[in-house]
Amino acid sequence: MKTEDLLRESENLLTAVANGEVDAFVIGRDDNRRVLLLANAYQRYRQLVERMQQGAVTLSGDSRVLYANQRFADMVGMPLSQLYTIALDSLVSVADRARIGTFLLISARDSRMELDLRRRDGTAIPVVLSHAAVSDGYTTLLVSDQRPLQWPALAGDALDSIRIALEHLNRSPGLDPQAREALESISEQINALARMSEEMVDVQRPPPRT
Amino acid sequence: MTPAEQRPRPAEEIWELRLHTAGQTPKSLTALANLQRICDEHLRGKYRIEVIDLMANPRLAKDHQIVAIPTLVRKLPEPLRRVIGDLSDTERALVGLELRRAT
Repeated sequence: MKTEDLLRESENLLTAVANGEVDAFVIGRDDNRRVLLLANAYQRYRQLVERMQQGAVTLSGDSRVLYANQRFADMVGMPLSQLYTIALDSLVSVADRARIGTFLLISARDSRMELDLRRRDGTAIPVVLSHAAVSDGYTTLLVSDQRPLQWPALAGDALDSIRIALEHLNRSPGLDPQAREALESISEQINALARMSEEMVDVQRPPPRT
Repeated sequence: MTPAEQRPRPAEEIWELRLHTAGQTPKSLTALANLQRICDEHLRGKYRIEVIDLMANPRLAKDHQIVAIPTLVRKLPEPLRRVIGDLSDTERALVGLELRRAT
């Protein structure tokens, strides 16, 4: 390559870096090259992981927490700052410790395991652990809370209350026929919503553990 | 751009462009979008874009001596040219690709 071209490319590189137009660099030589991402390059992934409804935890080779998202911290009932470096097996029952050790050794992508996470307040919550990634000696697990959501049941209770109130109104003597018709229409819609709510509770009910 | 500013090139010449990215980083995605726009405006129907994900295979950085990402490489027409960055500076990208002379 001509000196003139080399100078032009060097200037091009400096301009791109100065303008913030690059978000990764290649380091190393020959076949030992690696890509290093700048912080802004994975900002969106971090936001995604922080906001997702599944717990995520990355473990070091000795099964200590290197990184966890807020959802995982909520599951175990501990502040994030206290989770770092804690041994994962301290968050599960004694009976599950041997199982989780084996599970981590397998390190097969997409393998799954059911267990109870021990919360700081002494209660336990059923979860499914699944391997998301294993690289450079680090293991990333996804943690799915298996407790049924509370809101469909609460919604069902609220709908029942509305339905009772509507039936009471409908029995009122001297009710205008148009108002009665409107009340019946509302009752039908409430009944449909109540059925949907019941179906959601059924769908969420976890299958029996094997 | 006036015809006089453009680099003269044969009508049937196909441009082979290789965009080196790092997965789906914001700058890589921006570069791809900008490259598509530039090609549609200046090379309509006469270009091929190949996207090389260096996160998946960093060794490919060796071929074209890539040091920063994203980097666009013009393989054809020769001579080989590299444009570093997300191509948001259209003027710089056009000059780098020799679609426009530097002013």
